[in-house]
Amino acid sequence: MIRQTKRRTAGRRNFENGMIFQSSKLDKLYSHRLSFYDIPPLDEITLEEFELWAIDRLKVLIEIESCIARSKSVKEMESIIKPLLSKYLPISTLSKGNEKQIELERKKDHYSHFILRLVFCRSEDLRKKFIKTESILFKIRYNLMQPKEQTNFINDNNDKLNWSYINNEEKEQMFEQLFNATGSAIRSQLIMDNENLSINNEQLRQHVKMENFIKLPFEKIPHLLSARSIFIRNGEGYIPTTLQINLLVREFQNMLENNLIKTFQSLPRLDEDDRLLPVLNSLSRNFASVQYEVDSNNENVGDINSQSILTNEITKHYPLCGKHLQKTLSVNHHLRYQGRQQLGLFLKGIGLNIDEALKFWSNQFSANMTMEKFNKEYKYNIRHNYGLEGARNKYRPWDCATILSKPKPNKQEAHGCPYRDLNLDSLVSNLNDMGINDQKDINGVIEHVNKNEYTVACTKVFELTHKNMKGNENLHINHPNLYFDRSRQLEKSS
Amino acid sequence: MESTMTVEVSTASDDGVNVASSKPSSADMAFYYERLLPFRYVFQWLNHSPKPTKDFTMREFAYEHRSGAYQRYNSFATLDEFKKSVVSANPMRFEIGPVYSVNPKERKNLSKNAMRPLAKELVFDIDLTDYDGIRTCCSGTKICEKCWKFIQVAAKIIDRSLKEDFGFKHLIWVFSGRRGAHCWISDARARNLDELTRRSIVEYLDVLGSKQAKMGKQSLNLKRPFHPHIERSFEILKTSFVEIVLNDQDPWNDDNEQIDEMLAFLPDKDLQQELQKKWKNSSSNSKQKWEDIGIVAEKIIKNQARLNAVNEAKKDIIFYYLYPRLDVEVSRQLIHLLKSPFCIHPSTGNICVPFDLDYNLSDNRDDDGYGFNPMHAPNLITIQNELELYDSRNVDRASSQPSTDDENEAPTTKVLDFEKTSLKPYVNYFAKFVNDLVKDELKSQKRDRDDLEF
Repeated sequence: MIRQTKRRTAGRRNFENGMIFQSSKLDKLYSHRLSFYDIPPLDEITLEEFELWAIDRLKVLIEIESCIARSKSVKEMESIIKPLLSKYLPISTLSKGNEKQIELERKKDHYSHFILRLVFCRSEDLRKKFIKTESILFKIRYNLMQPKEQTNFINDNNDKLNWSYINNEEKEQMFEQLFNATGSAIRSQLIMDNENLSINNEQLRQHVKMENFIKLPFEKIPHLLSARSIFIRNGEGYIPTTLQINLLVREFQNMLENNLIKTFQSLPRLDEDDRLLPVLNSLSRNFASVQYEVDSNNENVGDINSQSILTNEITKHYPLCGKHLQKTLSVNHHLRYQGRQQLGLFLKGIGLNIDEALKFWSNQFSANMTMEKFNKEYKYNIRHNYGLEGARNKYRPWDCATILSKPKPNKQEAHGCPYRDLNLDSLVSNLNDMGINDQKDINGVIEHVNKNEYTVACTKVFELTHKNMKGNENLHINHPNLYFDRSRQLEKSS
Repeated sequence: MESTMTVEVSTASDDGVNVASSKPSSADMAFYYERLLPFRYVFQWLNHSPKPTKDFTMREFAYEHRSGAYQRYNSFATLDEFKKSVVSANPMRFEIGPVYSVNPKERKNLSKNAMRPLAKELVFDIDLTDYDGIRTCCSGTKICEKCWKFIQVAAKIIDRSLKEDFGFKHLIWVFSGRRGAHCWISDARARNLDELTRRSIVEYLDVLGSKQAKMGKQSLNLKRPFHPHIERSFEILKTSFVEIVLNDQDPWNDDNEQIDEMLAFLPDKDLQQELQKKWKNSSSNSKQKWEDIGIVAEKIIKNQARLNAVNEAKKDIIFYYLYPRLDVEVSRQLIHLLKSPFCIHPSTGNICVPFDLDYNLSDNRDDDGYGFNPMHAPNLITIQNELELYDSRNVDRASSQPSTDDENEAPTTKVLDFEKTSLKPYVNYFAKFVNDLVKDELKSQKRDRDDLEF
């Protein structure tokens, strides 16, 4: 990709060369429906294709991301993602006459992956998200392939995987041990893939006979080892087909991680291109929901100060967790540690600077304590959050995952996610306060709460409270500050 | 336990004082470090080569001092420096840590991140304290020939798995000096394992693990059919169960708590009650009770599937009472330190000698049927006496043969101090282990070099 942008100056000849070579691509580069994306694309594509293909792939990844947030099982995810895949990123099987279309599909898949690498390689968090969603995509697609296709794919990638299948003789020789060691793990995997399956021992035995085993050093399979779910002899574990997919995904993840770092390191060389960068920037900005990043140059920060954040003008954009915290603070003139952290960093995220933050907190606390006590016990902590004390880290506002991972609040505490932590009555009264009064709407929110889909409930609330504004579709709230920013953005643009 | 050492030893010790439990003095320790501890072999074992390599020079050693102070991050450039340092520090014991990316001694001059642990032997620790819930012969720090059999079986099971399943070759078992044993695995592959893999090996082997922590012991959650490791272990346990648990320990003779604990494994409430009734009024030993389970089950359970379940539960009981109980923390962490072989246990004075799982190394022929017997392990007092005795006899011989004072002949005939004591067979056993390891190591290094050249 990078080389390609440099070569552009050589004229359009490359483009034509590319066209000539394309006829052979199906044999090699695009011989499978699945790819480890180990060879970067070298042909030219148009700027429109560049943007369009990336956006299409992003749509799929965002849906996967949202499935993760709603903790869907792989099976459920498959049924949600499949229709999206055939719409945005189809990879059909090769048959006579459709070679052209197949090649285009695979090319789009190939290029869009590499374009998104450029978008997502820029920070640790982005890389993690990308690896997570891409590997689920990989897994879903792998499961869509026929067993024969799967085996071919693994064999053709043997240079990277170093997986060798044991031969039938070896398998028959140790069949009893293989069956005893790995049978129950295969059974539970089969049941996980197909919930209604019931399988007796004899059927299981027949199934294990069909499995192709690979042999790997035990260092590569710590998880299978610790569960005692594979046969291991002389330092090598024997892994049946059914259990190979997770290993394959892990290999995919490792390769992708290395490659993303490499991409990141070579980014500076791309920056000279004045056409790609705006596209990449807008890709990451328009789909902020994939990863919320605090933008210190946010145009909205101008009016955020210790006074304004107490006005309805500002607080009406708060998500419920922020509202709940600030309300508790103004009633009690105090917040426990976790609450101070959650609210403090949220406020920092919406643009409250350190001086205003100190003013705000000392005002709030002053009813309860002297300035001296405040300075002694609380000032350090607030400055710490702004990276002015101690290790001088720049702390980011908590995202929903962080908030949900903290210990639940006790009676005196107000942190956490209100959708999870408030009892039903106070949640409903809070929703009423936010202007959600229709029983059907409230039930809709509660339904998600009952399914433990708290971020979905919050998103629902966002949608309900921003009904009349355009452009709120396609958003999944996974960060309180995203809620705030989007809410203000929508207000401004409408 | 009576000490069955040589006659000279028992007369040399104070009357009535059990030799095996005497605390060594600081002077005794210094003497042992200076003259008896085989530093050369310990060095070669950790160094994997005759000349000092990073495996040794960047290795952490820690001293536990008499004052109770614990001094970490010692490291040594040579064998000589190693020995001199131990002799002059004269610690109660020294422990072995990992090889680091930098010299541990110089860590203060370097940034915090520079010092990373790179490699360490994979180690296992089995201690009889973990068996206190089920052993009846002793408790706490005490052991005897009956309960040491738990360690023997445990070691056998771990040893087989490490060799057959994981393919390790260079394993040595070391008496911990009081009531346990350590296993050191020195294969290059084992030394280079990351912590995740160490942890999974431990979990693979630690069948009872999580079970011990929880209170409900109704089932060990062993999958049927047995995993090959479980199956192999069961074959070993099955044969020792009658002797070790039923006969020697006899845990269900009259201890109601133990009986209830065992009954809880049985899946059938009726069977449990029937057995409780039967055992309430008549006294019987564990062996009879074990047979009762089968007899009563046959009588009251007509359904074959339920009868099978009882049989499977009996297997679980065997595992619960005899499968190795591992002290897992030592094995999981790379930076965890473990007492070196040939240290002296500060409370017992026993030497932490390596031992063979299959045969008795000592000269005590009574133990040939038993194997390594910790009650007869070399003790600092006894070997000091042996050394004294040897030297005094030799002085007599030397004075009767004055002509052998020649400088040139002296080195070839010189008898090392440890060879004059009952420590000798253990040091020789260790030396052979180290020798095999170093040979293998040099061979594979040569292979790597050749690979690079071509």
